[in-house]
Amino acid sequence: MRKFILRYLIPRIIQYLALIFIGVTVTYIIPRLAPTDPVEAQVSMMIARGSSLDPESIEAMSTALTELYGLSGSPVEQYFTFWGRLFRGDLGPSLGNFPTPVSKMIGQALPYTLRLLIPAVIISFILGNFFGAMSSYYPENKAFNVIEVLGQAVRSIPYYVVAIVLLVVFSYFIPIFPFSGAYPIGTHPNWHSLAFIRTYIEHAVLPAATLVLVGFGGWFVGMKSLTSNIISEDYVVYAETAGLRKNRILTQYIIRTAMLPQLTALAMSLGTVFSGALIMEVVFGYPGIGSLAIRAVYSNDYSMIMGITIYSIIGVATAVFFMDLLYPFFDPRVRYQ
Amino acid sequence: MTLLSVQNLRAYYQTQAYGISRTVRAVDGISFDLLPNEVYGVAGESSCGKTTLIKVISGNAKPPLKVLEGSVNYTFGERTVDMLRISQSELRRNVRWKQISYVMQGSMSVLNPVRKVIKTFQDIVDTHEHIKNKNEFLERTRTHINRLGLPAEVLNAYPHQLSGGMRQRVAIALATVFQPALIIADEPTTALDVVVQRGVLQMIRDIQAMSSNTVLLVTHDMAVHANVADRVMIMYAGRIAEEAPTESIFNAPLHPYTQHLINSLPVIGEKSTKASLKGSPPNLADPPSGCRFHPRCPFVMDECRTVVPDLVSVKERHRVACHLVKEDSL
Repeated sequence: MRKFILRYLIPRIIQYLALIFIGVTVTYIIPRLAPTDPVEAQVSMMIARGSSLDPESIEAMSTALTELYGLSGSPVEQYFTFWGRLFRGDLGPSLGNFPTPVSKMIGQALPYTLRLLIPAVIISFILGNFFGAMSSYYPENKAFNVIEVLGQAVRSIPYYVVAIVLLVVFSYFIPIFPFSGAYPIGTHPNWHSLAFIRTYIEHAVLPAATLVLVGFGGWFVGMKSLTSNIISEDYVVYAETAGLRKNRILTQYIIRTAMLPQLTALAMSLGTVFSGALIMEVVFGYPGIGSLAIRAVYSNDYSMIMGITIYSIIGVATAVFFMDLLYPFFDPRVRYQ
Repeated sequence: MTLLSVQNLRAYYQTQAYGISRTVRAVDGISFDLLPNEVYGVAGESSCGKTTLIKVISGNAKPPLKVLEGSVNYTFGERTVDMLRISQSELRRNVRWKQISYVMQGSMSVLNPVRKVIKTFQDIVDTHEHIKNKNEFLERTRTHINRLGLPAEVLNAYPHQLSGGMRQRVAIALATVFQPALIIADEPTTALDVVVQRGVLQMIRDIQAMSSNTVLLVTHDMAVHANVADRVMIMYAGRIAEEAPTESIFNAPLHPYTQHLINSLPVIGEKSTKASLKGSPPNLADPPSGCRFHPRCPFVMDECRTVVPDLVSVKERHRVACHLVKEDSL
């Protein structure tokens, strides 16, 4: 156990922290290399709106904004202030929705994204892998062949097109699902009312279905190519020669080995959930991280973009870190001796 | 009393792609018998049909491999089994592993990499004899493993923790859990170094001596046959060239191909260069007419090019297919 902590756990924790550090630093540097100056942009926006300001008050406002945005001092000083604020969970004020803090806005949007994306990713993962394995193990089965063709077809369509098609069909021609949003406009989220939860789920069905449909094809193809290699492995042929039951071969010999790379991929896609599903959220008017990110890009709100990027970096790094820790339970070959 | 009788067996690979059909005559008219309690060796170069022959007689022929003609009949005590007509469920329930088991080519990788060795034993035993008492099964497997000279710890290991030789031995142990009447071993020593080879061969010999079953040993390595086999069949291009007790094969080979095989074996102290056969093994999709060995034979006659030589008995238990050798000519 001590050896495990020293040689397996600690190096991975260090790796995890280093990954986040590098990622956040890069996120810090890139917007600062951009030719736009947010202070100047803000000031000129005010002037453009028609407020007549004398040079002194413009000067004063610039200083105030520079201070507020954390842009005062040399780049190195700014960098340290930035980390200091980050440790306090302060991502700075949103420049688009000044002065609401970025962390508060992300905090509001994140639950919508997570409640939508996590179930969608997991459902498409389970369905895609199951059908992928079945279709390569039973290549003669007609039903699986049909599913394969459909999965491939949907996968090759851009997901926003799938989203629009679903919207048109199920909200317009057959109006069984609402058009947009996470709940009807004018209602207040009330998690104690079953009726609210029902409308909430109704609003989530189409966006989730889009993600499941599109994700399904990806998992399906991945699993199928993995298993089609595994079914010709010696140990599978041997198990068949020895007369083992098909179910046993499929679960214990084929799916079990094919799952390993798929689990890593699952961790990655769960990690990227934190950056939302950009265009999908826009199409469905879903108030999640994706919508937030799009608005931030349009309004040059780079403290918001940075905030979302940092969440995403931490999300992916954490998911991969946990996968690294869990992997030995699934694959004895990487177990630390 | 024979254990297995194969008569005039023809098994071809028939494939069709883009309208072009192709037939590979991998096993073309083979007849032989296996007796109880013997080690029968099958030798021949790569792609001469050795593995195809095994697939057919073990009931593992799957398309594109197709049996066109012949019979494969087993006699297990009172019961007879027609391998070409037996139903899949009957084959699975009563024949595989209980009567005929199989040590596959590339046996080192037959173990599931993500499960412990004991689990593979459990799967196989459970398939043929529903495990009711787990402790009894564990005890029995441990005894079996120990009897074969393997440490019981291998059962709790994962395949990657075992050496190649150890994995090969585990595969042999897996094939013998039910003490089958016939063990088919396809290249069991290939890819092992000679020291480990010796151990594996010794193990096969011990098992055979212990339970008096029959071992069908397939390998291209003549030295292995010399050490282990009681009788040897030499295959060439899907047919039997010669079959004889091991001593006769090595001391008085009659077929020119066998003679070449034996002459090419190194002898300790000898320094001469070994002559190699000219040409290469024939393409079984388009085999030569007459005797399939004629394009490479140093003694080729006109007759060889057109007439297929019969497999004739020349001495007791010695059969050869060559126009140079006439029945009872010796």
